Parts: sequence; C-alpha cells; structure tokens
Amino acid sequence: MNRGALYYLMIPLLLFLCLLQSTAVARLKIAGVKPDLVLLMVVIGALVYGARPGVLWAFVAGIGMDLFSGGPFGASSLALIASALVAGLGHRPFSRFNIFVPLAAIALGTLAYAGVYLTVLAIFEVIGAPVLWVPIGDAIRDIVLPVTLYNMAIMLLLLPILNRLPESQDL
Amino acid sequence: MRSTERRARNFSDLGVRIVLLTLAAILLMTLQISGNLRPAQNLITQLVAPAQLSATGITSSVTRFFAFLGRIRTLEQEYVALEARAKQLEAEIETLREVEKENEQLRALLNFAQTRPRLELRGAQIVARVIGEESTNFSDTILIDLGAVHGIRVGMPVVTDQGLVGRISEVTENNAKVLLLTDPSSSASALLAESRLNGIVRGSTGNKLIMDFIPQGPTFNLGETVLSSGLGGKFPKGLTIGVIESIESQPNAVFQTAIVRSAVDFGSLELVMVITNFEPSEVLPEFLLQPAGEETTPEAQEISPEATP
Repeated sequence: MNRGALYYLMIPLLLFLCLLQSTAVARLKIAGVKPDLVLLMVVIGALVYGARPGVLWAFVAGIGMDLFSGGPFGASSLALIASALVAGLGHRPFSRFNIFVPLAAIALGTLAYAGVYLTVLAIFEVIGAPVLWVPIGDAIRDIVLPVTLYNMAIMLLLLPILNRLPESQDL
Repeated sequence: MRSTERRARNFSDLGVRIVLLTLAAILLMTLQISGNLRPAQNLITQLVAPAQLSATGITSSVTRFFAFLGRIRTLEQEYVALEARAKQLEAEIETLREVEKENEQLRALLNFAQTRPRLELRGAQIVARVIGEESTNFSDTILIDLGAVHGIRVGMPVVTDQGLVGRISEVTENNAKVLLLTDPSSSASALLAESRLNGIVRGSTGNKLIMDFIPQGPTFNLGETVLSSGLGGKFPKGLTIGVIESIESQPNAVFQTAIVRSAVDFGSLELVMVITNFEPSEVLPEFLLQPAGEETTPEAQEISPEATP
C-alpha cells in the first residue's frame, strides 16, 4: 500500500513543529494567542490516515510539546489524543476540495484539546498537586475561542496543500 | 479479509492504542509529581537546548530583518527627531547629575536602608539567554540557558533592565523555566510609587497585568509607576512592574482594580537576569491568591501574607 511520504515524515515533522512552536511561533501571536501548529499537523494526519496512527502521533507530539511547557508532563499528549480521535471522525468523509470537514475537524479538535488540557489542570488542582492555575471561564473567552479561530484560519490557508495530498487512506 | 471484519479489527486496535497511550500519559504525570521524571527531562532538555537556541537565534534574526525592512521609510524621520531629542536629553542629564550628587549626599546622611539591598543585588545577577517559550497557549513561561549547575533555584526572581519578568518555576541541570508575571498563576505584591498604595499584581489569560486589592477610598493616577513592594517575600522591593493604564473602580466594591501596562516587553525577551542572592519566603503556591470576585479559602488568606495587603 502506498501510504505517501507524509505518513513516514509525520513524527520528524511533528518534533520539528514542537521546536518551532516554542520558538518562532511565539512571534505569530495575535491578540495574545498563537496558533497550534502541532495540533494542526496531528489533525491533518488523523484526517488523512485516520485515528489509529493519529493517536500515536498525538502521543509523541504531546511529549514534545510538554518539554517546552510549564504544564504537567503528559497533559498535551492526552489532549492531542482527544483531538486526533475527533479529527479521525472526519477521515472517511474527508475528500479533495471538501472545505467543511478540515475546518470542522480543526475547530472541534482545538476544543477537544483545550477541554482535556484544562480538565487535567483542574484534576491536578483537586488532587493537591497543582502545576498551573488557569481560570476556566476567562481561558475559554481569552484563549480557547481566539485560538480556535486562528487555527481555522491557518487550516483555510493550508487547504490548497491538503488538496494535493492523496485521498484518505485506510491503514 | 472482509470489510466488516477489517473494520472491527481496526476499531479494537484503536481502542487498545487509546488505553495504552492514556495509561502512558498518566504514568508520565505520576512520575513528574513524584520527581522521578527529572533525570529524563535533564537528558532531553540538554539534547534539545542547542537546537532550540539555534531556532530562537534564527527567528530573532529573521524578525529583526523584517522589522528593519518595515522601518526603512521612517528611519530618516526618526533620525531628525532623535537629534532633537538628544539635545534635550543632554540638558536633562546635566540636571540629573546635580540631582544625583544631592541624592548621594542624602543617602549617606540618612543611611536609608531600603535603598541599599538593591545595590547589593547588582553583583548577584546572572545574565541568561532566553532559548524557548511556552508551547501551549495556557501558560506563559520561557526557557533560559542556565540551570541548577549555575546556581539557579526555584523561586528566584527574574528581571530585565526594564523591570520584573517573573520567577524560576522549574530547574533542570542546565536549563530553567521562568513563570512570567503575565501567567494567570503569577502574582506579586505591589506598591504604587507616588500614592504609596499597596495591592497585588497578577497575570491573566488575556496577557494583561491586573493590580487588585487596592484599598477603596484613596485616589491614584493613570501613569503612576507600579513597583514590587517586597511584602510576602516573593520578590525584592522596588523592582519596576509597569505603569497604571486604566482604573476600574466600583462604588460598592471593597477594593479598586487597575490595569497595569508592563514595563517589560514580554514579546521580545532575549536576555534576562536572575537574582541569585534573594531567598524567597513563600508558603503557598501563587494561584491560591485568587482574584477579586472569586472565593478565597480562609486557609489561604491566613497563611499567605500577600492575600491581605
């Protein structure tokens, strides 16, 4: 089966994006938020190849993210796994020139990521081992919604590239 | 293999993967809480730091180049304006020299103890390079190229020549993470330079600095400088935090609130200084100091000196 170059490049690409996410991406802040390039790549991977390889890429990418984060180690992995699962739902309907599925996948993927990440922070607080304190309501208004829009905008820009990828593949 | 069988196999395989990877993530969190993840973190950060430093360097160069291109048209106008400004500043410097002499004499006469620690701190600052920034949107941290082997410890204040940046939140052998003042978990006891009113400056999710718990009644002005007060022992006294940008005062509220414009440009941090001879005396994590309008546990109020400015 011809899986395409992207399949084999996913892990090095994700690790490179983790490095970019903690360096160059900080310069792309708009209204205090930056795009989640790693999340975008995981969602694209899950859309093209399905949730099965997607969750594995999400786990590896999450480890890379948490190396450069002040949050709990493993939290990004869990959050990205949730995003990959959500995006994986769009694997079958995903097709060339379909704008709705990638946009919906990144929007729901971002919400799933934020939901799981904030839940992990809340659990850490409840069990008395807090790492960070983030006010949930403010975080949704000031971070989650703007980032969702930002990620959707980038996905929109990536659509021409996405349309050049092979059709969704069953692995 | 029939399509339905294949789908069932894929589905069960996905389930197994999710369970295993979730357990692995939970294991990592448990190891982090117990501190057993530190050796692995040390090793990985040591391996990754050079690449991160290079990426940060390249990013800075590219950003500076584009910023320069964008500014070429305005450079000439700026030059003329700067020449005029230089002449004005020369006159001001003369005045300031006189003030400085007078200040030195007064200091020697009064032996003003509170001005001395700041001078002593100067010899204990270590300059560190910022090699990375927070990867998620949920917290504000930076990674610096100094760690435990350089004498960096958790809680040490981090500053720039512009003012207070934050404090060390996590240390590995050769690197350290700095929790920025703009993070919602951060807070610092603060003092208004002119009106001498106390309060607490905290970060927020919108990257704003908010000064809370300012006593109702006394007035203060926009543009007033906000300094660290030293109360609570988390930061040394007298570090510049920013200036008052707007005031939010409600007639029935117990405290006044103000938005503070940070003195530090958090978006372009390259070099920071770590104050190594300051021993923070903190009992509770910062996030227990909750913002006004939300419930604060009585225990937190009792134990934390900063919760009652």
